[in-house]
Amino acid sequence: MTSAADRSPTVAGSSRGPLLTFLGRPSSGVVMLFVFYILLLVVFSLISPFFMTTRNMMAIGSNIAFIGLMAAAGTPLIIAGGLDLSVAAIAGLVGVLIAVLYGDYGWNIWLAAVAAIVLGGAIGAVNGLFCTRLRLNPLIVTLGMMSIVSGAALILTGGLTKPLMVPGFNWLGQGRIFGVPFPPILMMIVFVALSILLRRTRFGRFVYAVGGNAEASRLIGLPVERVQMVLYVLSGVSGAVAGLMLAAMLGAAAPAAAAPHLLTVIAAIILGGTSLYGGRGSVWGTLLAVLILGTLNNGLTLNDVSSFWQDVTKGVVLMLAVSLDQIRTRALGE
Amino acid sequence: MAHAATSSNSAPRLEMRGIGKAFGGVTVLSDVDLIVQPGEVMALLGSNGAGKSTLVKILTGVYSRDSGTVRVDGKEVVFPDPRAAVAAGVRLLPQEISVMGDMTVAENISLADLPVKRGPGFPVVDDREMRQRSRGLLDQLGFASIDTAMLVKRLSVAEQRIVEIARALAGKARVLVMDEPTAALTEQEAKLIFQIIARLKEQQVAVIYISHYLNEVFEVSDRIAVLRDGRNAGVFETRTASRGDVLAAMLGRVADDLYDIERRGADGDEILTVTGMTVPGKLDGVDLSVRAGEIVGVFGLIGSGIETLGRAVYGALGPRTGGTVLVGGSTYRPESARVGKARGIGFVAADRKREGIIGDLTVRENMVAPFQDRYVRGLFVSRSAETEQAKRWIDLLGIRTRGPEQVMRTLSGGNQQKVCVSRWLVDSVKLLILEEPTRGVDVGARHEIYLELRALADEGLAVLVLSSDVEEVAGISDRSVVLDRGRVVGTFGKGASPAELMAATTDDPAFHAA
Repeated sequence: MTSAADRSPTVAGSSRGPLLTFLGRPSSGVVMLFVFYILLLVVFSLISPFFMTTRNMMAIGSNIAFIGLMAAAGTPLIIAGGLDLSVAAIAGLVGVLIAVLYGDYGWNIWLAAVAAIVLGGAIGAVNGLFCTRLRLNPLIVTLGMMSIVSGAALILTGGLTKPLMVPGFNWLGQGRIFGVPFPPILMMIVFVALSILLRRTRFGRFVYAVGGNAEASRLIGLPVERVQMVLYVLSGVSGAVAGLMLAAMLGAAAPAAAAPHLLTVIAAIILGGTSLYGGRGSVWGTLLAVLILGTLNNGLTLNDVSSFWQDVTKGVVLMLAVSLDQIRTRALGE
Repeated sequence: MAHAATSSNSAPRLEMRGIGKAFGGVTVLSDVDLIVQPGEVMALLGSNGAGKSTLVKILTGVYSRDSGTVRVDGKEVVFPDPRAAVAAGVRLLPQEISVMGDMTVAENISLADLPVKRGPGFPVVDDREMRQRSRGLLDQLGFASIDTAMLVKRLSVAEQRIVEIARALAGKARVLVMDEPTAALTEQEAKLIFQIIARLKEQQVAVIYISHYLNEVFEVSDRIAVLRDGRNAGVFETRTASRGDVLAAMLGRVADDLYDIERRGADGDEILTVTGMTVPGKLDGVDLSVRAGEIVGVFGLIGSGIETLGRAVYGALGPRTGGTVLVGGSTYRPESARVGKARGIGFVAADRKREGIIGDLTVRENMVAPFQDRYVRGLFVSRSAETEQAKRWIDLLGIRTRGPEQVMRTLSGGNQQKVCVSRWLVDSVKLLILEEPTRGVDVGARHEIYLELRALADEGLAVLVLSSDVEEVAGISDRSVVLDRGRVVGTFGKGASPAELMAATTDDPAFHAA
């Protein structure tokens, strides 16, 4: 039997006005985010004279780099139909692991850093194995992993914050290249690399196909599980690098320093237009969302809005953005 | 209870007149009448695409009608949604069993209308009343043996069906539509359903019985209404009707223009040889072969094994298959779709939306996905190479699209199907397996797909089509095979008629014995 859904969409697009045609493009979400970001910049620079200064912009860059790194790697994972809630917890564990290996066991700092990144990748691999081979729900697997990893970080240090002052190492968080802080530079490199990976390579095509329809992808012989596996490892590594950078920036490793940022990471990915159901999204959308959330944070702080109200604002922006996107999708009659 | 709906006058229980429906300009039903008396079992027959599902969906409030009237007990009704139909006593037993396995029998039966009693300040579910009502309904159907406190997932499939029927009868059921109620059941279990239908007749319920099994229809119905191409094609008194008349009404004269496909005798190399293919519970020792340049059609009804055979050969079922498969003369162990693809097999799944297309991606991306390696230049995918290939395939198959960058989801069913076929048109693919190649495809595009399959076969491709559309299999195959309950029950050369194929599958001794 022929269902209505099979037939009705054939008329899409042709007879629409320019607005709907624009909204129908997959890139329109990113454009709308960009416009919103510019608007935010304009509003804050009108309100506060300190906002649009080089110094403040650099500060925003340093603050968002840590979240941006995790959100960057989380984006392809969610596009491919996965999810990693343990990423921020991994960042916390990695910081204290380096501090313990260096401070308590006298390891070379770089060796400790490499070991920590390997650990991040390994945790990602465990997440991936549970989600792909055992086909467990990623929400539950990585929620469990988040709890395990957060607990492990507390156990390692007995809940205490460990100092981590090593000049070469701290440069990773505090150093500058041509006056620009290193963390946002690294973040941008990662975004560019992931964008090329997603748009230009065979692997990138698989990411969208697997997330768009895993069953169809399996039936045309695509390596569905391998793609997801690689992305879980990548997410774990991104958590490790983010944790390393945060510890380097703060000159100390606190076991619970990173975990509260998980929601911001996920919020940025969703706000950036990546579908939680998989198959749709881009890292540039995520980058804009990270910039928007970071700018909002900074601008509200400059204007003495309490951090409690900032949380409320963040939530409102996220819900508004997601609703708008949904309305847009429905307006297109899908 | 079920017979509480009294008809004071002599109006039919259900009277649908002049029903018309079109989707996006394509007429699916035109001027269809269906009249059922109280206590009558009306079988509804028709090939795939004849309009049965649409008619039922209009009756049960899923679709709105474009024209015509529906009366229940003489009173005109309009159902804006399925709830309204249920409230008016029009109930549906869907083809797929839909019960909540982790709830009790009583809860499943009463779910739509839970009895409540006064609780501590707020109403609470009245468990005792719920159990009693369910008990009453089950007893009425003759199943005192089913415990109302049992979790539904612990029941057999047939018992789950019975719970579903009891649920459909809760309140004042006037019309019950049963869509292939025995599809998932053994013959023994099917008998239970027939017993229930006899009871429903006593209770003056009007039953609309949809089935592909002619024997079943002749056993259980009072009259048979046949639909063809969205129109009435005759109503028969079951007692006096002949099987041949009913089949002729159902199938019509084979639409010459749709199936004007040339047939060939096959003399190419044997590309696929399957011996004793067995999948527990689905296939039982199936032998099959396909030669280069040949279209082999496998016909079977739902549950016959056609849903499984193509996948088992391709490898999509994993290594859970018995028997041997030779591809191009050498043994092939079906393990996974990847291995099947590497061995030169292409596969087009029946459920396009769920298993075929990647809706959010473009036509180009959908086309190149299986052989993405071919478009990699150095490190990167060459988009221009992809676009070039996509354009070639769009031209070759006459795909109606705004271009390679159109989002797949927005194409019509027929054009989506062509994209799913085009994917496999690379030189390494020697055998193309298609499940239900024209399901949900309009007539014009169907013809084009048939012609294209013929052209591909003529270029040396081996084509294996698995379909529950008997006309399709008869109309395009160089050789056809009929499957029934997991076994091959007939093999035919080119030119076999739909009636011959249908007869092979419905000659089921178990039903004759009844």
